[in-house]
Amino acid sequence: MSTDVALQALTLTLGAFRLQSLNLTVSRGQILVILGPNGSGKSVTLEIIAGFHRPDSGRVLIGGRDVTALAAEQRNVGYVVQNFGLFPHLTVAQNIAIARRTDRKIIETGKALSVPRDDKGLLAYFDVAHLAHRWPEDLSPGEKQRVALARVLASEPDLFLFDEPFAALDTQTRDQLRGDLLSFLRTLSIPAIFVTHDHADAMTLADRIAVLREGAVVQDGPAADIFGRPVSSFVAGFLGVENILKAQVIETTDTLTVLAIDDRMLRASGPMVAAAGDPVCLAIRAEHVTIGPPQAEQPPSFAVNRFEGLVTSVRSLNPLVTVEVDCGFPLKGYLLAPQAHAMNIGAGKLVSVEIAADAVHVMAN
Amino acid sequence: MLQRPAKRWDRRAPSQSRGLYLLCWFLGTILVAFLVVPLIALALSQSGQSLASVARMGDVRDAIALSLEGAFLSAAIAALMGVPLAYGLARTTFPGKSVVAALVDLPLAVPHTVAGIALLMVLGRQGVLGAPLQALVGLKFWGTLAGIVAAMLFVSAPYTVNAARMGFEAVDPRLEKIARTLGLGPWRTFARITLPLARRSIMTGVTLTYARSISEFGAVVILAYYPMTAPVKIYELFLRFGLDQAAGASVLLLAVSLALFLILRTLSRGTPRRENR
Repeated sequence: MSTDVALQALTLTLGAFRLQSLNLTVSRGQILVILGPNGSGKSVTLEIIAGFHRPDSGRVLIGGRDVTALAAEQRNVGYVVQNFGLFPHLTVAQNIAIARRTDRKIIETGKALSVPRDDKGLLAYFDVAHLAHRWPEDLSPGEKQRVALARVLASEPDLFLFDEPFAALDTQTRDQLRGDLLSFLRTLSIPAIFVTHDHADAMTLADRIAVLREGAVVQDGPAADIFGRPVSSFVAGFLGVENILKAQVIETTDTLTVLAIDDRMLRASGPMVAAAGDPVCLAIRAEHVTIGPPQAEQPPSFAVNRFEGLVTSVRSLNPLVTVEVDCGFPLKGYLLAPQAHAMNIGAGKLVSVEIAADAVHVMAN
Repeated sequence: MLQRPAKRWDRRAPSQSRGLYLLCWFLGTILVAFLVVPLIALALSQSGQSLASVARMGDVRDAIALSLEGAFLSAAIAALMGVPLAYGLARTTFPGKSVVAALVDLPLAVPHTVAGIALLMVLGRQGVLGAPLQALVGLKFWGTLAGIVAAMLFVSAPYTVNAARMGFEAVDPRLEKIARTLGLGPWRTFARITLPLARRSIMTGVTLTYARSISEFGAVVILAYYPMTAPVKIYELFLRFGLDQAAGASVLLLAVSLALFLILRTLSRGTPRRENR
């Protein structure tokens, strides 16, 4: 049986909000992260898939089955929300026991590993057997997540839906639980859709990413493509790209685009998106900005942009030091703490910054 | 592990607000004393012997029993019809919702004798409801238990509806959604998740309805002077025999209703769990 998921031309109007012909697919074993700001429609999309909103038009297919007209309880989706949504009046064991059982024999893992289906087996598999008679309010976030996953798995879903489960957690706990979740999802071949506004979630979990804005997908594709080639400054900003700059195209050649930011010239390689004279936006990740002492000789290659500038601010967050340089335009880069120390970096210091031409990503807007 | 607030800390008032707290305690103590002292004085005014003699009076015992019976029926009807209304108000939006919510509160603002008169006009022998109900099912409201229950229900139903509504509103809708995805249909979700989570609020509301029903005098006395509920009986004793006789029956009624109130409170807190969050 195929466990692919497809959203076909979904539209929905809810008051002032409009979901505009949404098309997305997820293959078995894949994690799709829907990324977008508040009000972009990402949670509504999840609720349409789960069966809490009926779309005005379009179809939801799960495992090859058209579930658009089915009630939530008939769709076989597992739904995990912020703080994991354990039932507070039920113990851990009761939380798992309440999930409906089907007569399916095994949970397909696709990796010759079978997850137990009975309550005891599930509790043990998720390492929460010792918590069976505890109440949800007494659990740590990590334990809550494991119980929530056990409960979801007990209902034998064809699809996992996660609605910002980590939104209320501190960064450290979030990192940890994200890792736990990823290794859990990797043992199964059940597709997952994870909704978030946190690009760190997307970077860690996503096989594919869809970026949503005002009810429409602005970009969707494999995670590496989205992070490497955002289509607009909105997407780049949302993915946490540190340097987003307005520029103008001076000329394009077969391999290079020459750009101007005020009076500074910059070369970018990669696909051309604009013609000479066009205004464009540039995305440069801070990790691709190399900061060093001022240098006398010319750059080693045409493919490297080099500027000199004065440091305007330095922020330390071990082990990284974020350095902001004014080189005619503001640019952020990282140094490792020992490097920063060796360079005696500080505001007002003259430095050189280098950006490889292939690290300069040109976007139409 | 990260969730627990350090409770001891939270409770300690910052020193600069001590004056505020002292004032609150001072004024609050006066009010509580005002509420409790009359009841204590009443209770202490009666010797065991005089209470026993009142308790042997058949008509006083009948009146108290009738009050309890009427209040029980009124609370049961309020729960049966008020809890669904409360759920509707908590979980749906519809035009005129705020009007419905205000209508539910209306009896709280109507003087109880006025409520009694209004009920009598509708439920009396010639009333728009009273006439057909008597003709069709023989249900009479003037001078009957049905009339007593109607009067009690009218003045006390808002407590159940409002408390239950707050209880339902406090249940995170996402928990209901999760239950649905776990395969529970809407009815089972309500029975297994929503209702248990709102249970304590509902019980509080029903308890208040029950207590308010026992104590109702104004509306009841207009629909049914006879058969006499306890408050009506006490009023009659007061008019015919004076304060002493009335006080004896009052203490008896007070003891019975307080005991029931305490039992219901204890029952509604039966589960040791906090129900939300």
